[in-house]
Amino acid sequence: MSHHLFLLSPTDIPIYSLAHQSTKSTTAQTGGTLSSNLPSWSTAPFSGTLTALSGAQSVGTTSSQNGGAPKIGAGQDRHVIQMIANASLDVVEEMQVNSSAMYLKSIDKFNEWTVSAFVTAGNMRFILLHEGKNEEGIRAFFVEVWELYVKTAMNPFHRSDRAIRSPVFDARVRASAKKYL
Amino acid sequence: MSTPRQYKTIGEDLWKSRTEKINAELFTLAYGSLVVQLIQDYEDYAEVNKQLEKMGYNIGVRLIEDFLARSALGRCADFKEVGEVVAKVGFKSFLNIAPTVIHHPSPAAATTAQQPPSSAQRSSLLPSQNAASQAQAHNQPGASFILTLDENPLAEFVELPEGALPAPGNAQGDDTPGGLWYSNILCGVLRGALEMVQMQCEVVFLSDVLRGDETTEIRVRLVRYLEEEVPVGDD
Repeated sequence: MSHHLFLLSPTDIPIYSLAHQSTKSTTAQTGGTLSSNLPSWSTAPFSGTLTALSGAQSVGTTSSQNGGAPKIGAGQDRHVIQMIANASLDVVEEMQVNSSAMYLKSIDKFNEWTVSAFVTAGNMRFILLHEGKNEEGIRAFFVEVWELYVKTAMNPFHRSDRAIRSPVFDARVRASAKKYL
Repeated sequence: MSTPRQYKTIGEDLWKSRTEKINAELFTLAYGSLVVQLIQDYEDYAEVNKQLEKMGYNIGVRLIEDFLARSALGRCADFKEVGEVVAKVGFKSFLNIAPTVIHHPSPAAATTAQQPPSSAQRSSLLPSQNAASQAQAHNQPGASFILTLDENPLAEFVELPEGALPAPGNAQGDDTPGGLWYSNILCGVLRGALEMVQMQCEVVFLSDVLRGDETTEIRVRLVRYLEEEVPVGDD
């Protein structure tokens, strides 16, 4: 099961992104493409969507923001992932108005991807794309990422509109992802 | 004079009795934004280092008055004692940290006193001879001590950007070009404070954990005593 995490600043600038392959699920674990992540019996119904998405790649490229460089393979549908994450931001804003909680659980669904969001007090958005349901694990993961982010934000050299390049932060987020996802 | 243990107690008492303390995070963030602003203004890390040291100097010449008034300590017998007081009383009462200190007697005096040079200052000479020649060695210009800071409240949560690290391949040294000594203000404070008690010192950073080194070390080296500045009694 793969997960894609995006951290976005209040001004919608991507600060950090991560693609993570979970070792906990039972579905196929090979690297990136969408079809390998789907159970084999559902490939046929989704193949139409897949080609449509691949065909829409050029559209996706122009409309999606190019955040961090792709971390793990999945070159082609990386743009799709980013497009889905971007599209969910509108939903995040809608839900922010209604709910004062930080963890917004799953706010959007796109084919097999569920989008969960976490909004901090400073309006930083953490968007996680995942398959399946793992609310408690994701909540714990978001809280830990939040703590790591706060420590990074305390760094006087960090600017809220610049990408987080710290290798320490990266290592810790990966470790946290391995633990909870 | 007082033993190291007594200095430790004095330092702790001073820290506890101090009524106006500042929130540590506020202090760290204020210093951090100061450094970042200096970097934006000067755009040259060597210049920023120099400015931090100058600012520290201005702080130091004022801080020493507060320190002497509160601690009521007398004159130190030799430079070694200066190191002990700075580490155990000074740093403790202002920053609540206790750096370890290693003394190095003056290289010139060590050879003339015919003592095996050792930083631990133990010798097989007779106690009286030992103390006298040690005191002499520690009083000579050129004597130094190294403070090792285990924790640095100025640098909590700080990670230096790439440009502020020293250029790769450079040996560890205090004049590495291109590097930022983040806590350089401390060097200025020490230099200013010691100058007001008639010791001209050279204070530099040797290593810093922010730069990837193992420890954070400051070396204080006595250049000379400012004898002529001492107000002579009219006799």
